[in-house]
Amino acid sequence: MNLYLFQVVNGIGLGMIYFLISVGLSIIFGLLNFVNFAHGAFYLLGAYLSYTAVSITGNYWLALIIAPLCIAFFAWVCERTLIKRVYHLPHMYQILVTLGVALIIQELCISIWGPIGKSISPPDSLKGVIAIGEFYYPQYRLFVIAFAAVVALLVWYLLDKTKFGALVRAGSEDAETVSLLGTHTHRLFSITFALGVGLAGLAGVLAAPIKGIHPFVGPEVLGIAFVVVVIGGMGSFTGALVGGLLVGIVQSVMSTLWPQGASLMIYAAMALVILVRPYGLFGRA
Amino acid sequence: MNKKTSIFGGVTIIALALMVLMPILLPSVTLATEILIFALAALACNLLLGYTGLLSFGQGIFFGGGAYSASLVMLHLNFGLISALITAILVGALLALIVGALAIRRTGIYFVMLTLSFSQMAYFLAYTFSDWTGGDNGLLDVPRPALTLFGMTISDLQSSEAFYIFVAAVFAIVFVFSRRVIHSPFGTTLVAIRENEGRSSAVGFSTNHFKLVAFVISGAITGLAGALYAMLLNFAPLSNVELLMSENILIMTIIGGTSSLIGSILGAGSIVLMGDLLSSIWPRWMMILGAVLIAVVLFLPGGLWGGILSLTSKFPWKKVKTNVTSEVTK
Amino acid sequence: MIKKYLKNTALVFSIAAASCVVMAQEEAVTIYGVKSLSGSFASYGKYADMGSKLAVEQYGQVLGKTPSYMSIDTEGNAGKALRKVQEAINQNSAKFFNGGTLSSTSLAIGKEINKSGGVFITPAGADELTGVDCNTSTFRWSVPTYGAIRETVVPLLKEHPEKKRWYTITPQYVFGEALLSNAKAVFDELGIEHVGNSYHSLQEQEFSGYVTNAMAAKPDVLLLLNFGSQSSNALRQAINFGLKNQMTILVTWSSGLEQFQELGADITENVYFGAQYWHTVDTPLNNKLVKEVKDTYGITPNYPLAADYISTKLLLDAIVEAGTTTPSDVIKVLEGKSYEGPTGTEIVRAADHQVLKNYYLLKGKSPSEMKNADDFAEIVSYGKSFPDESSLECKGM
Repeated sequence: MNLYLFQVVNGIGLGMIYFLISVGLSIIFGLLNFVNFAHGAFYLLGAYLSYTAVSITGNYWLALIIAPLCIAFFAWVCERTLIKRVYHLPHMYQILVTLGVALIIQELCISIWGPIGKSISPPDSLKGVIAIGEFYYPQYRLFVIAFAAVVALLVWYLLDKTKFGALVRAGSEDAETVSLLGTHTHRLFSITFALGVGLAGLAGVLAAPIKGIHPFVGPEVLGIAFVVVVIGGMGSFTGALVGGLLVGIVQSVMSTLWPQGASLMIYAAMALVILVRPYGLFGRA
Repeated sequence: MNKKTSIFGGVTIIALALMVLMPILLPSVTLATEILIFALAALACNLLLGYTGLLSFGQGIFFGGGAYSASLVMLHLNFGLISALITAILVGALLALIVGALAIRRTGIYFVMLTLSFSQMAYFLAYTFSDWTGGDNGLLDVPRPALTLFGMTISDLQSSEAFYIFVAAVFAIVFVFSRRVIHSPFGTTLVAIRENEGRSSAVGFSTNHFKLVAFVISGAITGLAGALYAMLLNFAPLSNVELLMSENILIMTIIGGTSSLIGSILGAGSIVLMGDLLSSIWPRWMMILGAVLIAVVLFLPGGLWGGILSLTSKFPWKKVKTNVTSEVTK
Repeated sequence: MIKKYLKNTALVFSIAAASCVVMAQEEAVTIYGVKSLSGSFASYGKYADMGSKLAVEQYGQVLGKTPSYMSIDTEGNAGKALRKVQEAINQNSAKFFNGGTLSSTSLAIGKEINKSGGVFITPAGADELTGVDCNTSTFRWSVPTYGAIRETVVPLLKEHPEKKRWYTITPQYVFGEALLSNAKAVFDELGIEHVGNSYHSLQEQEFSGYVTNAMAAKPDVLLLLNFGSQSSNALRQAINFGLKNQMTILVTWSSGLEQFQELGADITENVYFGAQYWHTVDTPLNNKLVKEVKDTYGITPNYPLAADYISTKLLLDAIVEAGTTTPSDVIKVLEGKSYEGPTGTEIVRAADHQVLKNYYLLKGKSPSEMKNADDFAEIVSYGKSFPDESSLECKGM
C-alpha cells in the first residue's frame, strides 16, 4: 500500500476525533451565537475524568460512558449559573468569561491530578494492530473511527429527525420565533450547551489512550476546533464532519510531504476559507 | 478647545499622576516599566476594541514584529535608540496594514478568527526563520542604546530608573496623541462605525478605510511597545508573538475598561501586578485570574475604570464626575 | 513576597525601615531559584523548586549564617523570568541563581546575571549555554547533546550490533538540530545507515503521520530526538502503531522518572531511554539524596529535583570554600572544582563551565519485573562523553 494512501487512512482516524471535538462548538455557536473558548478545557476535563474512572473501576468502557455524562452535567450547571448570563453580551465578554472558565478548569486539573501528564491504555481487547498491506494500524484507532461514526449518526438523527433538533435548527435561524412557539428557550439552550460540551468531553475520553492527558492541551484543542468549525461553516453539522476529516487528512498527508508546515497549512486554510467563502463550506449566510 | 480635549485636561492628569506614583509605590522600577509598556500595548488594542469595536487576536504580531525589527536593526545596522523605535513603529504599522487590509473584510466572529489565524501563522514564521529571530531561544544580546538628541547624549538609559523615565515620556506622548486622535473627527467617526456600521456607511463614510487607519495606528503603537520591551529585557523572546501574548493584551484592555484610554493603564497594571504578586504566593494563581475575568464581566462590565467611575459618582465630586463621565459617553 | 510590597511602601516613609533592608541584605547568603512554577512547564518547576529548597534547608551554616532560598516564578515565559531576575538583582542585590529549565529562559537570564557579575548554575538543554553564548557567570550541570547521543547510540549498538538501519524523528529548532547533527556524526563513525528523518514543528502533538513515515522506512531502530510531552506523545503513538514489535525504540533525551510515571510501564517496557539522572544510581550522595527526598517529600527524586538540588548545593559549597560571597571568587572556586554529585564524581570544566558527569542509557522494565512503583528501568550503561577541549565553541570566557 502506498504511503500517501495510508496517510489518508490515518487522516480519517484523526479527522473523526476532530469532528467530535468540533461539532459541539459548532452547534453551540449555531443555536446560541455563543463563542465558547472553554471548549478545549472541557475536553481536558473529560480526559482526566476518564483517567480517574479507569483507575478506580479498571474498566475503560465504563469510563467512556460515565465521563462524558459528568462533563455534560457539569456543563449544564455552568450554563444555569454562569453562561446564561452572558448570552446577550457582545462576543468580547463571552470570550473573556469562557477564557476565565478555561483557566479555572486547567489549574483545577493540575491541582487535582498534578502537573505531570497521565496515560490510560486502550482496553485489552483493542490493544493490537491490524495489517493493512505493509502497514499496521492500531485496532483502537479503528474502534474510534467506528464509534465516532455512530455518534455522528446519532447526533445527525437528533438534529434532523427529532422535535428537539427541529427546535435547535429553528432557534439557529431565529431564537425569537422559537420562544413564540411556547417552547422554553432557556431549557433548550441549557440542553444544547450540555450536549455540545458533553461531546467535547467524549472526544477527550476517546483521544486519551491515543494522545495521553496533559494539562496544557486545552488551547491546542480549541485551536483545532475553531479551524474545523470555520472551514466547515459555523453551526453546520455536515460542515463539522467534512471540516474535521479535511483537517485530519491534510495534517496526516502533510507529515510526509512538508511536516514543518503542517500547522501553518491548517491556519492558512482557515484564513483562506474566511476570505473566500466566509460562511465556510457548508454554512448558511 | 474644551477641557477634555486639551493636552492636560481630563484623564491625562490621572495618567501622569499614575506614572509618577507607580515607581514609588511598586516594589521595583522594572516592574513599573513593564506595566507601562503593556499599558502602551493595551492602549493600542483599546483604540481598536473600544473605539472601533474590532476584537483583534493579532496584537502579538505587531508586538513581536516591533521587538524583532528594532532588535535586528540595532544588532546588525547599529541603529540608535530613536531610529530603532521609528523602525519598530513603521514595521508595526506595515504589519497592521497587511493584517488589517485582509481582516476588515469580515466582521464579528469571522474577523476574530481571521486575526487568530494570522497570529498562528506569524508565530510559525518567527520560529521558522530562526536565523533572524533566534527561534525558540529568542533573540539575545539586544542593546539598549543611549538617548541622544542632536548629537548630544542626554542619558545612557542603562539604569532602570532612567529607562523608566524614558518609557514614561514615550507613554505620555502616545497617550496625548491617542487622545487627540479619538477626539478628532476621525475618532468620532470610528465610534460612529462601532455603534452602527450600516448607518455610517450609508452616510457616506468609507468604513473600511477608517477601520484600516485605526488598525495601522494601533499596529504602530503596539510595535513601539514591543521594541521598548526588547530594550527593557535586552532580549526578544519567541513568546512575544505567541497567541498567549495577543490574548493577554486583550485581557488587559477589557479588564481595564474600553471606554477610556486610562483603562489601559489600569488593565495592564492589574494583570501584570496580579501575576507578579500572586505567582510568588501560589503556583496555581491563574485560577484566581480566571475568576477575576468572570467577575469583571458579571459585575464590572465597564472594566476597572467603569467601576471607579460608578463609585465616584456616588460621592459629591461633581467636577471629577462630569469630567470623566463625558469621556465614557463619548 | 507580599513583604516585598509592604517593604517598599515603608521605604518611602521611613529611613529606619530602609536601613533595616540594607542590613538584611548583608545578613546571609540567598539562593534565587528561577523555576517555572506556573505556566506550561509546571511539571519541571514544581520538582526543581523542591530540590533547591531541600538543598538550602538541610545545608546548615554558610559563612556562619543560615542561608535562605527565594523562588522566582517564570510563569512559563522567558520575558517575565528575565524581568523578575533584573528586579532581584536591582532590589535585593541578588548574586546567586540556579534553575531555568527552559533553554530560552536560561540563555537570557544567564546573560543578565553575567552583566551584574553574579553566578548562575542551570540544568537547561541548550548547548549554546556552554557553547557560543557561554559567559563567566553561567555554569551548566546537564550533559550536552553531544554526550547524550554518544552515551546512548554507541552502547545501544554494542548491545545489538546487527541493528544498522536507523530512522530519526526530530523537532525542527536549534535543540533538535543539535541532537540530529550529533547523531549523524555517530552514524557515520559506526557505519549506521540513516534511512530517513522526519522533522516536526515546535507545537506538534500528533505523531501518527511521522510514525507512519518511520514504519514505511522499515528501520531496525527508531531514534526519537524530541523531548518532554512531544517525546511522550511520539513514543505513545509509535507503540499504539505496534512499532515496538518491529524495531527497537530509543528516546535519547528523556526527562527521566516523571516521563516514566506519565507513560506507565506498559509503554516504557523494553524501550531505551537516555537520562541525565536516575534514582537507582549507586553513589554516596545519591543514596543520601533518595533517602532525604523520601523523608521530606515522600517521593522518589526525579531529574528536575536532583539537578536543581545538586546545582544549589554546588553553589553553597563553592561559597563556603571561597569563604566570601564575592561572586568572582566563587566562580574561581567553581572552575575546575571536583565534587561528589548524584552521578558520582563530577568536575566543572574551567574552559567552558560545563559540568563533566555521567549520562545514562536506561531500558524500561516490564511491569512484573518492577520491584516498586518507581522501579521503571534498569541502567544498561553509563559514561562521560564531552566535546574535546580543543574543539569548544565557547570563546566568551
